[in-house]
Amino acid sequence: MHEISLVRSLVRQVDQIATDHDANADAVQDITIEIGPLSGVEPELVRMAYDQLCNQERRPPATLTIELSSLQVSCLDCESDTELQDFTFRCGQCHSGRVRVISGDEFRLLSITFEEGATLA
Amino acid sequence: MSSVYSQSLSKKVPLLPSKTLLINRDIQSENRAAAQRLRLAFTQTGTFVVNLVSSPGAGKTSLLEATCRWWKNKWKTAVLVGDLATERDADRLRPFVPVQQLTTGGGCHLELPLVEKGLAKLPNERFDFLFIENVGNLVCPASHDLSEHLRVVLLSTTEGDDKPGKYPKMFRTSDVMIVTKMDLAPHVPFNVEQATLDTRRIRESIDVIEVSSLHDQGISHWCRMLEQRRNTMLSERAIP
Repeated sequence: MHEISLVRSLVRQVDQIATDHDANADAVQDITIEIGPLSGVEPELVRMAYDQLCNQERRPPATLTIELSSLQVSCLDCESDTELQDFTFRCGQCHSGRVRVISGDEFRLLSITFEEGATLA
Repeated sequence: MSSVYSQSLSKKVPLLPSKTLLINRDIQSENRAAAQRLRLAFTQTGTFVVNLVSSPGAGKTSLLEATCRWWKNKWKTAVLVGDLATERDADRLRPFVPVQQLTTGGGCHLELPLVEKGLAKLPNERFDFLFIENVGNLVCPASHDLSEHLRVVLLSTTEGDDKPGKYPKMFRTSDVMIVTKMDLAPHVPFNVEQATLDTRRIRESIDVIEVSSLHDQGISHWCRMLEQRRNTMLSERAIP
């Protein structure tokens, strides 16, 4: 379960961004992240790891919003895009296996919401 | 309304009334960048880095033993071995090459900082090949770039041919698949063709090599492939 170390890195980055805006980490109300099916990151384990970290570090718990992305590839042969339903990496148009993942391997920090009244630089 | 926060940490962005900062940043971007820098440094010194991944007991250490036996002293080689607790894998390889154990203390995968610590403890020489034997696990190591030039996934005939479909990320991110323990293939219900077919549905261009490390079967093929890949790295480096 590598989600613990990934979540620790996420929280450190959120804190850094808050600091960069002269905001207190306590003012963070929501953290929104995106997880793709090919990220190798399990959303449920991320949630568990986040709760555990907030407890351990006695952080005021900002909500963690997780958006799930779909798995999409772009064909290197016919250039059409396909949304995959499983992990068969084939173009939906020409069935070529020469495809590039354009969505689905994300583990991204999308946004941070600060509480009303927070002053930010 | 939101403002966009760029990759630069130093740039302050004025906040709009919603107080939501749009960031849209890969959470592992720092690690990826660090791995890429280290990879370029290895390319410059001519060190070809191989990250070996598999489930526990698939034969990573045995493959490395066979590789060292085959090459003898042909190439300067070093090994970093990831393990949860013991030094047993490192002990097996010490008779052949410089080895540094990376003990994760229960961690299920290797991360770049631990690899860098291990590198600092290896003899201060230039190596032609550096093997990183990851922790046995087909899930977490898939998400961690260790600065390797080549990711090699091992699949043993004794663990079942359904692994590629179950662990797509690992097989999608690997360049080569080694089917190990081929000497046991006649005794187990493992279909090499099926496993290869399943893996190529996930990654069409993957190279597949069948080996039996105990009997040096397929080892010459594997070693030749490594030498060719390293040559390609060296020739690409020469292009300005």
